Amino acid sequence: MSSTNHVLLSPAELAYLHASLSLTPPIRPDGRAPTQFRPLVAETGILPGTNGSARICFADGTEAIVGVKAEVERTVVGPEGEGVIVEGGEGEVEEGGGEGEAGWVEMTVEIPGVRDDDSGTAFLAAMLSEGLLADEGFVRRLWINRRFHWKLYLDIILISPPLSYPLPLLSLTTHLALLSTRLPRLKSEGDEDPFFDDDWAAAPYLFPRPNGKSTTFVSQTRPPITLLVMAVGNNIIFDPSKEELAVADVALAVSVTAGSSSSQAPSKHVPMDTSTEGRNLRLLSIRTIDPPSRLTPPGVANAANSAYGANAGQKTTHEAQATAEGEAVEGVWRAPRGGAKRMVLGALVQKVLERGGVVDEVLDALEGVDLG
Amino acid sequence: MPITILAPRPSRAANGPSDNASSSDSDSDSNGGADLDGDLPMTTTKPKPKTHPSKHTPSSFEIVTPGETITSDPQWMRGHGTYLPPSTTTIISSVAGTVTRTNKLLSVRPLRARYTPEVGDLIVGRIVEVQAKRWRVDVGSTQLAALPLSAINLPGGILRKRTETDELQIRSFFAEGDLLVAEVQQLFGDGGAVLHTRSLKYGKLRNGVFVAVSGVGGGGGVVRSRRQVWTMDVANGGGQVDVVLGVNGYVWISKHVETAAEAEKGATTTTGITNIEESVSATMYSSQNDRIEVETMREIARLRGVVTALVENGLRVDEDMVVRGYHEAVEMAMVSAEGSDDIYLGGERGQRLAAVLTGV
Repeated sequence: MSSTNHVLLSPAELAYLHASLSLTPPIRPDGRAPTQFRPLVAETGILPGTNGSARICFADGTEAIVGVKAEVERTVVGPEGEGVIVEGGEGEVEEGGGEGEAGWVEMTVEIPGVRDDDSGTAFLAAMLSEGLLADEGFVRRLWINRRFHWKLYLDIILISPPLSYPLPLLSLTTHLALLSTRLPRLKSEGDEDPFFDDDWAAAPYLFPRPNGKSTTFVSQTRPPITLLVMAVGNNIIFDPSKEELAVADVALAVSVTAGSSSSQAPSKHVPMDTSTEGRNLRLLSIRTIDPPSRLTPPGVANAANSAYGANAGQKTTHEAQATAEGEAVEGVWRAPRGGAKRMVLGALVQKVLERGGVVDEVLDALEGVDLG
Repeated sequence: MPITILAPRPSRAANGPSDNASSSDSDSDSNGGADLDGDLPMTTTKPKPKTHPSKHTPSSFEIVTPGETITSDPQWMRGHGTYLPPSTTTIISSVAGTVTRTNKLLSVRPLRARYTPEVGDLIVGRIVEVQAKRWRVDVGSTQLAALPLSAINLPGGILRKRTETDELQIRSFFAEGDLLVAEVQQLFGDGGAVLHTRSLKYGKLRNGVFVAVSGVGGGGGVVRSRRQVWTMDVANGGGQVDVVLGVNGYVWISKHVETAAEAEKGATTTTGITNIEESVSATMYSSQNDRIEVETMREIARLRGVVTALVENGLRVDEDMVVRGYHEAVEMAMVSAEGSDDIYLGGERGQRLAAVLTGV
């Protein structure tokens, strides 16, 4: 069972795509550089009834909307007693609430034309929430006091039919929505019932923005993003389109986040420069995506083609059959066989985590979006 | 720069000036949260009663949605994309699109539409289903088109009768996923099309890339024109490239392969016409690509970029536009930083290309 939807392409097309993507540098069908993303249009704060929302639209017409709603929820204290809570202002640390924390974020993904219990959709939602939850610093932000916490509902809706594997689109939109999320300012103190400032203008951002008076450390932490990266031969390609994914040897969904989490020596000497050096990228999770290329029909070489030239009308000879099954013939598509090469997988992850590389620029660009 | 993020373009004032675009931003900022008072800016976009169409100039850009009343004036006649409810004179739109008026005829041009086949159309299609004696072909229409086994050129040269052997090995001609160029031979009463490939121009496609552009409407897409298929010389030593613009909006761009017939023409040997056909049909059902040079691949990708840029910017796709757009793209690449190898035509570059093309 493939996790990506199957695309119907002819063997000749697949062979052509594979050949052009295997060149150095690869020639992508839409002319992009290997690390280039599709141009996108983004805006935030489009849904007035939410705590944060965003919309991203690709040039090919795929479009996603994410809304974030927050709700105060009573923290269920486990039977072993109260969680050990270390007091101390900003960047609260709660320990012992491991399993309860994952439930503080609820994510639903909706893709038109696909059932919501479809395995592909469930897999997408799992990948996206996995990235969020793997970053322990994220769930900690939802802590209000010993008895209460915020519960975040993330509703991810793909408006257009899925023209390409929507993971990067949904992840970028979720990232933007979380960046624009604001929670009401807490007025109460300690463990009393939470009481909030009703002035929305005073509501702080869930992820404090860098331009304020906040320190560089706070500004460095961002919501995680999940990127789709694929490899054809030794070429590493970011943000593949549907056709490109159809000839991928390996496809990976890599979740990364910027900045160090609070568990990694917060407010201490983290050697980084905000602007010049690039970010401290942290790998959160990796998922292999079953590329649809494995299910594609193989091409038939001319030598084995019963409808070709001199063979026309004849039965296929056994030796011709043998060559078709055997070594690759140039210009004939063969679905990739076997697992991913370890070197390629390593190179993929390395490329994503590159300091000052693609992820850095993506995060920069997302930060540049006006959070109006 | 691996990523470009643009701010959304301000929406065009489709139905008269609307001033709520600017106020909605500030409102959603201050209200935020859950606001149930109903003072949200969305209430300002109340459907206003349509003004009389004759008050508009014919060039006025007006979008209607299905079920929207266009006019109730009895002097207008209803055209495509509209309907009259029984015993009224109200003309109501049945599609989402722009209103066009020809004298007293009101019609609505849909923003998006599926392809409606017509006899004689050259189309590019993709096999989606193989049946006992025919194929079902996706042509971007509301229904799948049919390609009977009797309507293809069977290999072996002469136009022979199909046999049971052919029926048994129907997948060796076309299998699921295969792309082909064909002509609409006949239409069923319900709009379904029957195709044929009984010409040396038609048949299986290889050595290139496919791009599906949107259907007719909105000003973009492939339009019926004098020539849908042509071979062009491309820049940067790319050799020759074939472009097939299917009327249904499916486009195929491939390396030009000199067919035996053309080779014969040059050589003027004594091969008879039947022999030519024989040698041509030899490669007809091949799914093996020829060797394609890097330069050719690059130019094919550039041409594909031109086609998508044309569509994204709402321009028509025909031979003239594609050829002109291609030459512009080559020149744009020459002056760009990366040199002539730079084939990217997305986003802002595509807009620049479209601006150059429409400016001429």
